[in-house]
Amino acid sequence: MKPARFEYVAAKTVAEAIDARSSFDDTVILAGGQSLIPMLNYRVAQPDAVIDINRVPGLDTISVDNGAVRVGALVRHRQLELSAEAFAAHPLLREALDNVAHIPIRNRGTICGSIAHADAAAEMPAVLVCLDGFVTAQGSGGERNVPASDLFLFHMTTTLDSDEIITSATFPALPKGSGYAFEELTRRHGDYAVAGICAVITPGPDGNCASASLSACGIAEKPVRLSAVEAALVGTNLSDDAVSAAAALVDDMVTNEDDGAGGRYRRQVARTLITRAVAKACQRAAQGRA
Amino acid sequence: MLDKAPLGVSTIRLTVNGEAVTVSADPFASLANTLRDELGLTGTKIGCDAGDCGACTIRVDGEQACACLVSTGQAEGADIETVEGPGPDGLTEKLRKAFLAHGAAQCGICTPGMLMAATDHLARNPATSRAEIEDALGGVLCRCTGYLKIVDAILDVAGGSVLETPRAEGGNAVGARIARVDGWPKVAGTDLFGADDAPADALWMRVVRSPHARATFTLGDLDAVVAATPGLETILTHKDVPGENSFGIFPHTRDQPVFAEGHARFRGEAIVALVGTKEAVYGLSDTDLPIAWTVEPPVTGVGEARIDGAHVVHSGKPDNVLASGRVKCGDVEGARPTAAVIAEGRFETGFVEHAYIEPEAGFAVPVGDRMEITCCTQAPYMDIDETARVLGVEKSQVRIRPSACGGGFGGKLDVSVQPLLAVAARVMGKPVRIVYTRTESMSSSPKRHPAQVWARSSADGEGRLVSFELDGDFNTGAYASWGPTVAGRVPVHGMGPYKVPNVLTEARAIYTNETPAGAFRGFGIPQAAIAHETLLDDLAEKLKMDRWQIRRINALGNGDTTPSGQTLHASAGLPECLDALKPDWEAALQRVAEFNARSDGRKRRGVGIGCMWYGCGNTSVANPSTMRITLKQDGTLTFFNGAVDIGQGSTTVLLQMAADGLGLAPDQFDMVIGDTDLTFDAGKTSASRQTYVSGNASRLAGEDLRAKILKLANAGEDARLSLDGGTLTIADGQASRTIDLATLEADGEGIVLDGIGTWDPPATALDENGQGSPYGTYGFAAQTAEVEVDMRLGTVKVIDIVAAHDVGRAINPTLTEGQIHGGIAQGLGLALMEEYLPGRTENLHDYLIPTVGDIPPIKTYLIEDAEPTGPYGAKGVGEPALIATPPAILGAIRHATGVTVRQVPVLPHRLWESLNGESGS
Ligand SMILES: Cc1cc2nc3c(=O)[nH]c(=O)nc-3n(C[C@H](O)[C@H](O)[C@H](O)COP(=O)(O)OP(=O)(O)OC[C@H]3O[C@@H](n4cnc5c(N)ncnc54)[C@H](O)[C@@H]3O)c2cc1C
Ligand code: FES
Ligand code: FES
Repeated sequence: MKPARFEYVAAKTVAEAIDARSSFDDTVILAGGQSLIPMLNYRVAQPDAVIDINRVPGLDTISVDNGAVRVGALVRHRQLELSAEAFAAHPLLREALDNVAHIPIRNRGTICGSIAHADAAAEMPAVLVCLDGFVTAQGSGGERNVPASDLFLFHMTTTLDSDEIITSATFPALPKGSGYAFEELTRRHGDYAVAGICAVITPGPDGNCASASLSACGIAEKPVRLSAVEAALVGTNLSDDAVSAAAALVDDMVTNEDDGAGGRYRRQVARTLITRAVAKACQRAAQGRA
Repeated sequence: MLDKAPLGVSTIRLTVNGEAVTVSADPFASLANTLRDELGLTGTKIGCDAGDCGACTIRVDGEQACACLVSTGQAEGADIETVEGPGPDGLTEKLRKAFLAHGAAQCGICTPGMLMAATDHLARNPATSRAEIEDALGGVLCRCTGYLKIVDAILDVAGGSVLETPRAEGGNAVGARIARVDGWPKVAGTDLFGADDAPADALWMRVVRSPHARATFTLGDLDAVVAATPGLETILTHKDVPGENSFGIFPHTRDQPVFAEGHARFRGEAIVALVGTKEAVYGLSDTDLPIAWTVEPPVTGVGEARIDGAHVVHSGKPDNVLASGRVKCGDVEGARPTAAVIAEGRFETGFVEHAYIEPEAGFAVPVGDRMEITCCTQAPYMDIDETARVLGVEKSQVRIRPSACGGGFGGKLDVSVQPLLAVAARVMGKPVRIVYTRTESMSSSPKRHPAQVWARSSADGEGRLVSFELDGDFNTGAYASWGPTVAGRVPVHGMGPYKVPNVLTEARAIYTNETPAGAFRGFGIPQAAIAHETLLDDLAEKLKMDRWQIRRINALGNGDTTPSGQTLHASAGLPECLDALKPDWEAALQRVAEFNARSDGRKRRGVGIGCMWYGCGNTSVANPSTMRITLKQDGTLTFFNGAVDIGQGSTTVLLQMAADGLGLAPDQFDMVIGDTDLTFDAGKTSASRQTYVSGNASRLAGEDLRAKILKLANAGEDARLSLDGGTLTIADGQASRTIDLATLEADGEGIVLDGIGTWDPPATALDENGQGSPYGTYGFAAQTAEVEVDMRLGTVKVIDIVAAHDVGRAINPTLTEGQIHGGIAQGLGLALMEEYLPGRTENLHDYLIPTVGDIPPIKTYLIEDAEPTGPYGAKGVGEPALIATPPAILGAIRHATGVTVRQVPVLPHRLWESLNGESGS
């Protein structure tokens, strides 16, 4: 099939793009196009207008500030993955990005596009949730920061207004002394995750868990923070038993039953990935290589 | 939707392969379409239009990208590199040569994408590694090669040591690893596949298909739609079919309509077709058409089809049984009680999609009162029969000109676009073209039969098989296709390549309201092999015997008689295959034991073994091939070869055999391939018959011409020929004679001499107990697989495969290995990931086929137990490669985990459930 007919607007500034967003009923933003174009080709999406932001200057920068990484709306997955500066400051991002699709898709797809697209199985939204990150959005009402915890509504839907555009996403710094890991299960490398776990663990001086931050993709209708698991981990000695017991608390959060095992298998996957991610994060914290 | 304004067209500037170009295109047209349609750069292929296959991989501003996911407007001002260009510092050129030398391009449809991904990778990582290459190629699917030779070729270029391909002399072409003779256009991106060419004035055709598995329908006022849609010329229905509105494989099973008549039997069935401009036929949605559906409950699965009172899918078959077959020998009931051990089980497999990377495509041109069709096909001569019937004309009125074929594997044996195009071009009196989308290809083309198999096997105390029983229901879907062949082949091969004195095997092909199932590498035997090999492992376990040992004891060898009563006088090389991989088997057992002893239990490894056999050629029926070689006055030597090469390499190996038959070098021949007006019938490219059957015809054609030359020169049998322009030299010992071809009498085309070869394999009909000699020869193989299982996640990674194949003679070992690698990759997919679910996995991101990262190292042993009736001892290898792989993988999973899986694919959740004692879903 070929896309249904729509207007094509090549915006030159963010303001122009916002304008265009307000002047049609149903618009989409063309960033990397790696999700949008197949949806148009197969008529999963039939918007009135497609607003191309690729000619908008200044949106393709990565800035690193005290360990935090901010990416503009046109920063490609691969650009961030290969950025030495971002890697030095925030190695978790590369580890997560390595799981996103294949190189040609990562060469064009954007991080902000992935966040806006809000696929429940996508990696970068889960990373944003784990780190308590935020996006900066601009619309006719001005600019605002939307924390990850308020951003995702359900699969492929965010809370942004229809005239808003994400101009950047900010991934806060990893805590001092922490260790991180991104673990996921895919059917084949590069596919969307059956389930993925992002974990940041900070052991205290006594070796017990001082703080824990975990999120998951693929298990529910949106990326979710695993607060119950975090609470159960804090204060423990992070032994295998303690981690397994905490991981079991993910079960209630697994609502995606889209496999032949009616959710039971995905719960097992989520638990297993949590234990593996926490173990890896602890190991990294111990090596002081956070 | 009809009232929207036409798409805007903009002027867009690009640099393509170093040249500045300006195109007028819809800014939202994909770059893939713009390159192909506006710039004629058809080297960039489209396999999915969704980012899933990578066939469209190009470089945009020095980075690899999927051209189907870049809009032309986005590319304004960009620097585009395609396969047609030389690549940075000529890198693409170097890769082309390496791909050719390694046999890394088979059908060639993925090759442009592979070359561009590789170019991109090497341009930035000249000193690369296997793992990095796998990462870089991860987005490009290949269904033919199993990827290994592709990675080898890239490593060669990275290492600066490009393999030289040997040039074969006359008389030693057979056995030489010459490069594919049709390979250059594939690596240059100039080969023309079904979608790559059509007359400029061709109208477009798009088929509207049933969204329901079973429904009746009525059509409203289609003329009104035509009148209201600018550019739409007509909407074709069954009423437009001039001849019979039906096609099929066998004379008594032509049960599939070109266009359904008021009743759709499967989701994906053709209902009507739109013909007009591209914009018009794609601009209209299916839901814009006045089709009133009454949905009815479909028959799903063979279980439902066989219960009393089930809906009858075809009125002529009240029990929904299309066909059945059986083999009976000895006395199963009498013998089984004497056995020491008995094993029994039920096995289940699903629909498997061929997933050739090229969706069906082609065009038809009415030429006078004849119809000429160019399309991708495996069976041009069968296409003539079906197309002529549908048009209601003599066969001589139809010409089929096969395009390059981007993979087939059995799925392009049935007609697809041919009758549709013929009807459209006849009605319009103009050329018409069609290109299936990926979804359309997957929902309408025939699949591998899902099977429900029960089997029971018994052995004596020494492990010698006493009896074997098998009863299988094969879901043939809504139409017959190759169902009868599956029902016939399964009983013959169902006990496996073993000496079994008492056998009763039965198989049925059953109609349902699902996608038609037809031919797919192995015709039902891979499904049966899972049963016979698993039971053999059961018997070995009960007898505490080594799994290799029990196979070796029972292996059919020279002089043995099959359960069909056919004595294998020669070329039954399974014992040799097993002996070849014995050291690997023992080493793997030890490796696995050591790994598991060290493992904390989270990961466990196992090794498994599987054997297979496969009769080459069509079952019990004549399936001759004829080949011709001509020599002209000016010295032009032409090989007229009617066998289509679907990537497996027949064009090359048949030439090698023809060349040796004649005694001149392969590179002295011109080729005319598979044009039904110019070549003789070489049968279908199926059933692993081209090397064996058409190979003999090619050899005989060469020998026939040679005999004529020697007679003319009065030379002895050992004379050496050489051809230089119009001068033919015959050197016989010390004596030498030259013939000036211009002095010989020529026919109207300048031909002075020709050689013709025809060959039909020896085979006899089977009686009602399946007794007879159904095939001239059989291919044999033994394979081992080593796997690592993640015990917590249920995932399986295949980490090593060893494959020993008795091929009779490897005419071109590089191509033979390529067939084996590709078959193993498909077998791996069948075992672990591939499951076609109508309506749910109709694309290449929900239907998963192996990527480069899924394929383990493969070690091959080519066993050459010459087949006396084969050309130079050769027999087929196309299908055998796939069959042994799934059982070897299942055996390895069982060895690793202790769990016997009897359902494929072994999806992670299924294995996890079995590991945890949960009942399957
Ligand atoms: C074969 C394949 C495999 C893939 N596998 C994965 C995977 O494993 N994991 C994964 O995470 N992703 C995967 N993707 C998706 C890929 O990562 C996309 O790049 C990403 O989801 C979207 O980014 P984009 O820049 O391409 O967005 P686009 O496709 O351009 O846009 C996507 C959506 O986001 C909206 N949007 C984009 N940018 C903005 C913005 N700045 N402000 C507001 N709205 C915006 C658009 O309106 C549109 O609805 C895959 C894609 C393909 C084709
Ligand atoms: S056609 Fe572009 S990825 Fe398949
Ligand atoms: S050679 Fe790769 S798909 Fe055929």
